[in-house]
Amino acid sequence: MEKAKGNELTPRGAPKKGALHIAIARKKFVGSQGSLTALRDISLRIRPGEFVCIVGGSGCGKTTLLRILAGLETQYEGSVFLDGRRIAGPDRNRGMVFQEHRLLPWLTVRENVAFGLSRLSPAERSGKVQHYLDLVGLRSFERQYPHQLSGGMSQRVAIARALAGRPEVLLLDEPFASLDALTRIRMQAELLQVWQAERSTVVLVTHDIEEAVYLADQVVVMSPQPGTIRNVLSVDLSRPRERTNHQFNRIRRAVLDELLAHALA
Amino acid sequence: MITAQQDHWLPWKADAAPTLDSRAPAKKSSVNLPDALVGGIVPLAVLFVWEVLARLEMLPPNWLPAPTVVAKTIYEMAAAGDLWKHVGITAARVALGFLLGASGGTLLGALTGYFPVARKLLDPLLQSLRSVPSIAWVPLFLLWLGIEESSKIALISLGAFFPVYLSLSVAMRHVDPKLLEVGQLYRLSSFEMVGRLILPAVLPEYIVGLRSGLGLAWMFVVAAELLGASRGIGYLMVDGQMTGRAAIILGSVLLFAVCGKTTDWMMSAAGAKLLGHRAR
Ligand SMILES: Nc1ncnc2c1ncn2[C@@H]1O[C@H](COP(=O)(O)OP(=O)(O)OP(=O)(O)O)[C@@H](O)[C@H]1O
Ligand SMILES: [Mg+2]
Repeated sequence: MEKAKGNELTPRGAPKKGALHIAIARKKFVGSQGSLTALRDISLRIRPGEFVCIVGGSGCGKTTLLRILAGLETQYEGSVFLDGRRIAGPDRNRGMVFQEHRLLPWLTVRENVAFGLSRLSPAERSGKVQHYLDLVGLRSFERQYPHQLSGGMSQRVAIARALAGRPEVLLLDEPFASLDALTRIRMQAELLQVWQAERSTVVLVTHDIEEAVYLADQVVVMSPQPGTIRNVLSVDLSRPRERTNHQFNRIRRAVLDELLAHALA
Repeated sequence: MITAQQDHWLPWKADAAPTLDSRAPAKKSSVNLPDALVGGIVPLAVLFVWEVLARLEMLPPNWLPAPTVVAKTIYEMAAAGDLWKHVGITAARVALGFLLGASGGTLLGALTGYFPVARKLLDPLLQSLRSVPSIAWVPLFLLWLGIEESSKIALISLGAFFPVYLSLSVAMRHVDPKLLEVGQLYRLSSFEMVGRLILPAVLPEYIVGLRSGLGLAWMFVVAAELLGASRGIGYLMVDGQMTGRAAIILGSVLLFAVCGKTTDWMMSAAGAKLLGHRAR
């Protein structure tokens, strides 16, 4: 964990992969009690290697949007392109951390992290698993089963599982929600570290405005009914960012104002 | 890092733990052991009264022989070697019937559990067959397969089939879709989906199905052997009835109980081993 500090400032070369072009006219859920428009007029361009955070109230379609990017939802009006190719289903070049940890209860922690690595040789696989378990600070739990872990620990294993696949696009749905403040800050730093090393595109959903401003290049503010993008704010602060900094707080305030403006409207 | 913290966090805990540990089993046994004893009081009393009444010849010995007489009968048959022949043939019938029935149940359960089309085609038929009391098939089996082994095996297989089929089919249909999405995300082939997600997910329910299938196999071997056999524990019972020796009938009941319990215990131990340390 300590090694995280050193490289944080190293500038990254511009990655060429992981450009997302999102143009969703409408996403409807049709149920027995009628239909519900979860997303409406979502138009967003994410540059390769960009870190985007999505904030917005409960039920405004953040998870739905992430699931579309993952390729798990394919029934909607519009289209989403990754590097110019339409996303038609899941692919190993996109990794996802769900809102729930979704670990497989019959596998140990290390087997769960290795789940998507079946194409690697056993030696490569175990090296990777150890690396990412170290990263989330759970190496000593590698032989435990998910039911023996706390919620926050399970979530960290799920993060390790997604990272181990080294995806070009990493989708994270409130990944740090169940962590204590200290672990959360540590995991945020680790995630930035991984992002800078791998130059992947990251889309992270959070309810925590401070987290969004700390991590993101762009903060997407969504509003509900129907879920739509209210505004996109750029965070032009160099990293590592200072959470108590005046500029930081100004942007934080701006994001909050966007959220409140809708709530009060 | 976190384990280390837990180990050395509270130094006094190291002292506290043994006292807690040594107290816990004592407390447990002070509750459980008498429970087991209490549960034994009535059966032992019954055995005792039964023995005394039989000794006093207040019970007709050809109707209800003393427990010691039953034990002696079993012992004598075991010593003469007859017993093992009968137990062996019954166990073999159960094993073969269970193997066939459970295999069929596994095959059709997996088919209907995985392919909705197969379920729509086969499940209604199988469900309606299930509602027929299995013994009702006996005359047909006898007509088709004769009085020899085949008809017995068929009946036992039928008994073992349904619990296995049902448990697997239902469990496969109810695997948590959220876990299946993880497989989708990693682009598992359908083959991998079954092997790496669906089978491990349904294993606990499947083992329960196998256990009840085995239980029913024992139930049906009794029926099959009572209906006509020249060997087996069921034959012993019929023989005991024909020759008016209640001790043999009672001894056979006891044998069935012991055999059934033993195989169930073996199956559940194998299941526990297979499930390992996972939850549930
Ligand atoms: N599978 C589904 N079927 C029907 N409706 C759904 C489904 N999934 C989501 N919805 C609806 O779509 C809307 C958006 O849901 P979504 O889960 O995307 O919200 P969210 O922004 O992630 O909320 P939260 O912050 O609480 O996680 C909600 O109104 C929800 O009821
Ligand atoms: Mg959500």
